[in-house]
Amino acid sequence: MSTAPIACRARNLSVAYRAEPVLRGVNFSVPLGSVMGIVGPNGAGKSTLIKAMLGLVTPLTGTVDFSGRPLDQVRRRIGYMPQSTSVDWDFPTTVIDLVTMGTYGELGWIRRPGKAERARAMAALEQTGIPNLAARQIGELSGGQRQRAFLARALAQAPDLYFMDEPFQGIDAKSQQAMVDVLQDLRARGKTIVMVLHHLATVRDYCDHVTLLNVSVVASGPADEAFTKENIRTAYEARDGAEAFLATAV
Amino acid sequence: MSFILGTSLLAVVTALACALPGAFVVLRRNAMLVEGIAHAVLPGIVVGYALTHDLNSPWLIVGAALAGLLVVLGNEWLIRTGLVTGDAPQGLLFPALFAAGVIFITLDFSHVHLHTHVVLVGDLNLAAFHQLSVNGVSIGPRYLYVMLAVLAVNVAFITIFYPKLKVTTFDHQFATVLGMRTRLLNTSFMFLVSVTVVTAFHAAGVILVISLLVVPAAIAHLISRRLSVMLVLTALFAVVGALAGFWIAYALNAATSASMAVFFGLLFIAVAVIDALATRVRRYRRAGHAGIKGLLVRPPHEEAERLDGSSPAPSPQAAE
Repeated sequence: MSTAPIACRARNLSVAYRAEPVLRGVNFSVPLGSVMGIVGPNGAGKSTLIKAMLGLVTPLTGTVDFSGRPLDQVRRRIGYMPQSTSVDWDFPTTVIDLVTMGTYGELGWIRRPGKAERARAMAALEQTGIPNLAARQIGELSGGQRQRAFLARALAQAPDLYFMDEPFQGIDAKSQQAMVDVLQDLRARGKTIVMVLHHLATVRDYCDHVTLLNVSVVASGPADEAFTKENIRTAYEARDGAEAFLATAV
Repeated sequence: MSFILGTSLLAVVTALACALPGAFVVLRRNAMLVEGIAHAVLPGIVVGYALTHDLNSPWLIVGAALAGLLVVLGNEWLIRTGLVTGDAPQGLLFPALFAAGVIFITLDFSHVHLHTHVVLVGDLNLAAFHQLSVNGVSIGPRYLYVMLAVLAVNVAFITIFYPKLKVTTFDHQFATVLGMRTRLLNTSFMFLVSVTVVTAFHAAGVILVISLLVVPAAIAHLISRRLSVMLVLTALFAVVGALAGFWIAYALNAATSASMAVFFGLLFIAVAVIDALATRVRRYRRAGHAGIKGLLVRPPHEEAERLDGSSPAPSPQAAE
């Protein structure tokens, strides 16, 4: 275990849907300033882990803390990028409106977003390289543009700790490069990133830390220590093309 | 105020009061939940009538609305238990409550004298029967002012909480991470919907109130790119539908709420067809030299997306 300060930590986290355990006794910690990839086969509970940490799913057991503090004290410092399939893209709103939602956490009960919030949203769109799409209806965006708009919304939250659920799902090469640039910039500025990744092949490119998950944690730590052939094999139980991946990589 | 003017105003105000929260009901895909509420408020109305002997009493409205909220909260609770899936929890809850209301009416224990057709489709003319007068001058149906109050509350709620309603409706989980009290907002909103349904019961009954809530917003959703525009169009369609329905009913001597519901349905079809045709024409123009085929094929960027699910769409200008 590294001795760096910890951005967030889960202790003995368990989640079940009815009688089916989705997460069992998950312990792991994310060092400050790291990029932590959460990797595992389908149904391993990767998204559920993020949701449980963010209070979107009520755990059966366990606790989560953020540098020793509970979620409610640090919400302003947390950004969330859900899977893009989790929303209705026919919703009548424009890209700039969508990104401005990232600033709503600071509005309180009554105040509405003004020029300052719009400017922040626009800056976030510039960062992700799609300021030209600001006035588009969100349903007109391609898969990659949707992910970039979602990333921009998380950027507009101006957090220190990012949670991203499959940020590279279904995107084109251009969008992928734009997002990688943003991630590198965030890392350079000392931000902490926790992201669920689906493709094993990209883990090494983006992450310096890895948590291999299959209902419980198989391994967690610096990529060199945790992301080993042995651990991947254990996590995937030779499913989901892991063997093919192992034959060519790591 | 003449009876016809008062009653047509009542139709307009009822349609507006229902349609505005209806916009969020449509976007939240809660139409069937509201259908459940509309049925579940019946026992509340009957019991409330037994206590107050006034279908427009605020106590009756709030009490019956709480019965409607039982469906919302019971539904959430049943979903959390995981015992029943999909929208089955609603199917478990509201028929039982509705049936209780029917039994209460049949037993005549409250002397409410509600006819079946009034329960189901309402009766606007009957609702407008009690006129209010100031110094002997009629100022319209008393029910009109009850409905106006509900409209005012709905407009105030939507105006004040517009940003919150928008983000929780679009992305509930994101709103929760932002620290918004999403459950409180949702329950408050559903209570307001419930109040609206109870109040509109008089005019539209338990079946057709869903038409007033859902259809104007559904029509507006077809052609709106922004939520603010959708709300304005929803209000516009509600007013047009209410007036058209009222005068059609007047001319045919038919039920007003039914005429409104049928007119809304026809309006939806008309707008959907016009919107589809307009989209085709835009594509045709955009395709330029593609000739008549432009009407039949997808525009190039959509085709590319369909094929690889990813390629970024060129801007309309670029395609021209």
